[in-house]
Amino acid sequence: MSDPATAGAPPAPLLEMRNVTKRFGAFEALKGVDFDLYPGEVHALLGENGAGKSTLMKIVAGVQPATSGTLRVGGEEVAFRGVGDAQAHGVAMVYQELALATDLSVAENLFLGRLEPFVSHRRLAERARPLLEQVDLDVPPLTPLGALAVGEQQLVEIARALGQERRVLVFDEPTAALSSAETERLFGLIRRLKERGVGIVYISHRLEEVFAIADRVTVLRDGRRVLTAPLAELTPDDVVRAMVGREVLRFQREPTVRAAAPPFRFEYGGDGLAPGAIELRPGEIVGAAGVVGSGRNKLLATLFGLGGEARLDGARVASPADAIAKGMFLVPEDRKLAGLVLDLSVRENLTLAILPRLVRAGMFLDRRQEGQEARRWIERLHLRPPEPEKPVVELSGGNQQKVVVGKALATGPRVLLLDEPTRGVDVGARSEIYRVIDELAREGMAILVASSDTEELVGLADRLLVFRHGRVAVELTRPLDDKEVVAHVTGARQVA
Amino acid sequence: MSQAPGRWRELIARFGLLLALVVMVIVLASISDRFLTTSNIINVLRQISVNAIIAFGMTVVIIGAGIDLSVGSLLALVGVSAALLATGAGLPVWLVVVIAVVLGLLLGLVNGLFVGYAGVAPFIVTLAGLTIFRGAALVLTDGRPISGLPPFFSRLGYGTFLGLPLPIWIMFGVLLLTFVLLRHTALGRAIYAVGGNREAARLSGIPVRRVLAFTYAFSGFATAIAAIVLTGRLNSAQPTAGQAFELDAIAAVVVGGTSLAGGRGGVWGTLIGALIIGVINNGMNLLNVSSFYQQIVKGGVILAALLLDRALSRREG
Repeated sequence: MSDPATAGAPPAPLLEMRNVTKRFGAFEALKGVDFDLYPGEVHALLGENGAGKSTLMKIVAGVQPATSGTLRVGGEEVAFRGVGDAQAHGVAMVYQELALATDLSVAENLFLGRLEPFVSHRRLAERARPLLEQVDLDVPPLTPLGALAVGEQQLVEIARALGQERRVLVFDEPTAALSSAETERLFGLIRRLKERGVGIVYISHRLEEVFAIADRVTVLRDGRRVLTAPLAELTPDDVVRAMVGREVLRFQREPTVRAAAPPFRFEYGGDGLAPGAIELRPGEIVGAAGVVGSGRNKLLATLFGLGGEARLDGARVASPADAIAKGMFLVPEDRKLAGLVLDLSVRENLTLAILPRLVRAGMFLDRRQEGQEARRWIERLHLRPPEPEKPVVELSGGNQQKVVVGKALATGPRVLLLDEPTRGVDVGARSEIYRVIDELAREGMAILVASSDTEELVGLADRLLVFRHGRVAVELTRPLDDKEVVAHVTGARQVA
Repeated sequence: MSQAPGRWRELIARFGLLLALVVMVIVLASISDRFLTTSNIINVLRQISVNAIIAFGMTVVIIGAGIDLSVGSLLALVGVSAALLATGAGLPVWLVVVIAVVLGLLLGLVNGLFVGYAGVAPFIVTLAGLTIFRGAALVLTDGRPISGLPPFFSRLGYGTFLGLPLPIWIMFGVLLLTFVLLRHTALGRAIYAVGGNREAARLSGIPVRRVLAFTYAFSGFATAIAAIVLTGRLNSAQPTAGQAFELDAIAAVVVGGTSLAGGRGGVWGTLIGALIIGVINNGMNLLNVSSFYQQIVKGGVILAALLLDRALSRREG
């Protein structure tokens, strides 16, 4: 296979980004990043969560503009005004979350947004067939998309991106939902696209795939580019070393496991999770690591009665309400979607899960006790500003997250499930959240943390479960090492 | 730092409605000297009472991110049922009233069970309720109005207490009850939470389905009270009563600043919304504006209220 960067006279790059920055308020997600892509090249883009990969590629795909810096496509300087604009320039993105209409047919989805006002289903199906053949997907084009397996839907999404003449294709974790056979098909397709001179950006957490398919790699860390090199010159360990070692705070705690106390024994399974069991001891913090779709987050959802089957000490967990009654509480991954009621105040959110406890005379809320309860958590979590009546929507991300944690703690759980407890949280609030988690473990709470942030897990966890393909692939114990964890999570241990 | 404009914005958002009402009153008072008389003010309050009572129940449903289109028909069905019981069955009036209110509550609960437990869209469930309840009212009465009611009803419709007509007292009673429910009970808080973010409410252990079912039962309860009041005002019960009342109630709620998306709003706003609509109707009557034009103006006011609400609730990013 010829390396396009070295084969004869270097061709002009398809995509060229220089000194690109992106700011969200005070937060700088990209700090002067350079990136380029040549015809017929597969360029892997790696980095831990929050490193800036998706932000960078959203600029390429026209989802959002850069704050500063230049973007050239085929030598022409562009500033995309939207996704359609980027597509007109031959740039498209295949998303990890499916962006398709499940009630429409496969064929309709393939041409979504480009449908003529009147078109017969038969003609549409005919036009769809060659595209489906390209991705080796053998389904009738008029099947409703929702009837397909998730992996097949992902292939439809890819076929759609192929539908238009593309020069640049961005794949954002395309294999998260694919089986290994489907992944092989995808790789075959990527190789054919390469031969046609299409440039491909490949975002993934799985190093084995990156080494199997990509020509070059760029690693981002904290919004900066830390490495760009041909993969032939690198080992998996080199890449892992470039990925970890973020310059954010390093939290380290002393283990607080109470060996004498009886453990909570969970059994779980179903909904994409292989049957298994874990024990959590009071005072213990257990981490769950793994790439997107590995089962890391699904574990917490299942234990909390949100799908699959779970038992705590033999008793079935039927629903979230049941889980709460059994002494559990979940701090969900997406605070805006599932953690907070944005229209309500800090006080009202903090007490949302303990309303039955604040009731007097059968139905009336004891406003004084409610106020005390709210102030207690505002103080303990150092909420800024410390105003119970402020609508949560007006708080910073970090303080919003503290409210979600406070709501959980108000219930006095014995087992706390934390799903990405510091995603999108600034460093200050992050250290406060770590401090509180540590205190809670000291007080004897059993804590299970799922996170995509390796440093976070290494700093917090006494024990670490690494998930791959819906099951615990390996269990690591203290002392934990970042590089070893990343190597297990990405599967580099299997490559090297 | 846009501290000062932010504060203004908040004040306008909070009291803008009241301000709009006051401006309207001042304008109408300067045009017509009959407008700002005690008798006319009481007249306006009495005119809005039935709509306001229904709208208070509707407020609870809408805060829970639902909608209840069945209230007009439910009002008719409860009204004729009460009238039939009072005339035909010879039951004591107090028992008739109790049965009517419980009937409204149960009919609303049926709506609520479909929404909460069967997961059918509120619009569809209550649209079905709208036609079914109307049909039932027509079947029960053979399409004819029922008159010859015991004197209790006309006393309720026309009697006064401390100089104020009873319908106005009843309206304030339901207002207070709804306010306490929404602001001082755990159930009320749960309604805001379910309407604001159903998933977050569920993960907090709130029995979402039960809460949803309750909101429709409460709407049925409030509508049943409105049905008794209206029956008293008309001194008869008509199976065709209450047509399009759901739209007037929704209008009062929306003009009153409660968000159709759920989770935001309150019952005082609904009172002001009902007053604004009532004052517009009354003012145009005093000015002899044709009822055809009145409908156009009313629609315009609803649109203006929605635009204002959108402009104010757009948060600075």
